[in-house]
Amino acid sequence: MPGGQARPAISGLMMNLYLTAAVAGLAAGGAYALLGVCAVFTYRLVSVVNFVGAAIGAAGAFAFAMLVEQGLPIGVGALAGVIVGAAVGIGVGAIVTKWFAESPASTKAAVAVALLVGLAAIGLRITGGQHPHDFPELIRGSAFRLAGVEVTNASVATLALAVLFTLAANLFLDRSHTGLQLRALSERPVAAELIGIPVHVLSLWVWGVGGAATALALIIIAPQRAPNFLALSLLVVPALAAALIGFFRNFWVTLVGGVAMGMIEGLASVIPGLGEYRTALPFLVILAVLLWSQRGARWDDAR
Amino acid sequence: MSLKPTAVLLASGLAAATWSGAAFAAGPTCPDGSIKLGAISTITGPADFSEVPKAAKTMYDAVNRAGGVNGCKIDYEIADDKADPQVAAQAARDFIDNKKVVAMTGGASLLECAVNAPTYKRANVMSVHGLGVDPVCFNSPNIAPVNVGPYTLTTAMGLFATNKLKVKNLCAMFIIIGGTQEAYKAAIARWEQLTGQKAKLVDLTVPISGDYTPFVIKARDAGCDAVISNAIEPGVVAWVKTADAQKIGGINWLFLAPGYTVEVAKTLADSKQPIYAGTEWEPYTDRNSPANKDWIAAMNAGKRPLTAFSQGGYLSAEVMLDVIKSIDGPVTRDSINKALASMKPKSYPLAGSPYVFGTADRHAPMQSTKVVKLEKGAWTVETKDWLVVPAK
Repeated sequence: MPGGQARPAISGLMMNLYLTAAVAGLAAGGAYALLGVCAVFTYRLVSVVNFVGAAIGAAGAFAFAMLVEQGLPIGVGALAGVIVGAAVGIGVGAIVTKWFAESPASTKAAVAVALLVGLAAIGLRITGGQHPHDFPELIRGSAFRLAGVEVTNASVATLALAVLFTLAANLFLDRSHTGLQLRALSERPVAAELIGIPVHVLSLWVWGVGGAATALALIIIAPQRAPNFLALSLLVVPALAAALIGFFRNFWVTLVGGVAMGMIEGLASVIPGLGEYRTALPFLVILAVLLWSQRGARWDDAR
Repeated sequence: MSLKPTAVLLASGLAAATWSGAAFAAGPTCPDGSIKLGAISTITGPADFSEVPKAAKTMYDAVNRAGGVNGCKIDYEIADDKADPQVAAQAARDFIDNKKVVAMTGGASLLECAVNAPTYKRANVMSVHGLGVDPVCFNSPNIAPVNVGPYTLTTAMGLFATNKLKVKNLCAMFIIIGGTQEAYKAAIARWEQLTGQKAKLVDLTVPISGDYTPFVIKARDAGCDAVISNAIEPGVVAWVKTADAQKIGGINWLFLAPGYTVEVAKTLADSKQPIYAGTEWEPYTDRNSPANKDWIAAMNAGKRPLTAFSQGGYLSAEVMLDVIKSIDGPVTRDSINKALASMKPKSYPLAGSPYVFGTADRHAPMQSTKVVKLEKGAWTVETKDWLVVPAK
């Protein structure tokens, strides 16, 4: 067989099959975890369920691909992509903070969905719809082989980045003065403003950092995904499901939840009868978490 | 010398006959002053098929500039269905009831056949589709597309794998949207019937986008030597890049016509995977092919891009113009339908099968493809001759 390893003998051991499928889902899981952590970050600091997060990142990732197509070196292109992600993030943040800062969370979420639809439509037009762009691999090669699956360096980097973001976000929120101010901002924006916290500027910073982080995440993830603006933007659905597993508070649980979801998706692809429903998995997870979170509530409280 | 006048008469008669067959017959006429045709196409929405009817329009415009068909101008209108069933249904009613079209031609839509086939049947309107996509396009008495379509192409690619690549273990991994599952299953069954083989693996659960790692691993571990996939452009790219990342070798990746684009070839220029695609018509990237000559000239004259889509529009217009020219007397819905029903199969350079409408309760006249292979960032023609799917 040219250029490949010998195929593993098809053994009767179903465990092997499942392990392989679960490891195969790791790449997706890392992506969900990373984007989920970004979603929790935005929610905890500016209290917006960020439906538009992945679309902001997609804008940065496509800027990267298109600039490299124009002949820019990969490193410079990636930096430019991250900057575009930050800029689009700040743009979206400006809309949300200027007009909807004091709106309830549900209104902000609806605004984010509207922005997602708008950004995806514009993105599809600019990037040429279904015609693929060549996403250069920022991180090449594979790290190791596990259960017959090549775990790529990009997957490892995605997971490492997710852990890094989680650590950084935790430290920042718990230990730094700005973090404390930001928590105040997200919980009581008016009170925070009254005690002299520069609410507007801080919010825009959060959006900018979130946009840059998501752009970097998608630049790493995109080469092995369908290079289509809408498809990348819709990665937000599993990401938000992961965030929900962490109740939009806990970064570590979100991280684990995202990885687990990817692996379950991988498993679903080899279990007969389940494959058709694998795209519905995030919704099932969301449903299960919502039910679980309400388990102690009595009718009157929950209403 | 007594022979001379006869010879002259004969020669001139022959010349006249070859110059214009319509010169002696009455030819098509148009009491309203024009012949009204319509096309419904997905233009805005998730996909843009507008290049198909636009190429057809280029043809009709050229005919009109040259004086029309026997003096009759073609009045051709294109409607956008926005991939919305309600809009598609509304467009069909508008064409049939208000604009009084005599036939539909050059249509290309994600869902128009499925939505409008019953309407066409009720109103007794026929459609020479430029690009049939959904299964109903190939399963209605009123629609006969000029393209092969994804289902016959699936069978054809299977035959290519078995007969040309000598593949033993063929696998099929499909994205199923809407009501396409039965049509793909039937296409695989047809391949099994023609070759007497069984598909090694049939997976109809591939997502339209997402991470394909579990699927390429599954194909490898099932022992597939070739995988047929109906992924569209971005999916083809993701699929092949994932196979590269997994260091998979020895699997032939067979895609259908949507994968056959210049952008896909450029994006996958570095891949070492064996990648093939089936085409709907004469491979459009082969600019030197004599079969493409007239189409290229027509598109260049009309300043339209040279894409596979424009081949479909061009061919549907060629068919429709031939059908109209064959009519003696007024061109009406009835006379068009009669001409379509009684037409003899007619060969066109762009297609490997002759086109015929006829009276069957379903039509899929096009049963031939040419396979292209991706090499160094460009598509090269792999099968010089047409690969025809046998009728049995």
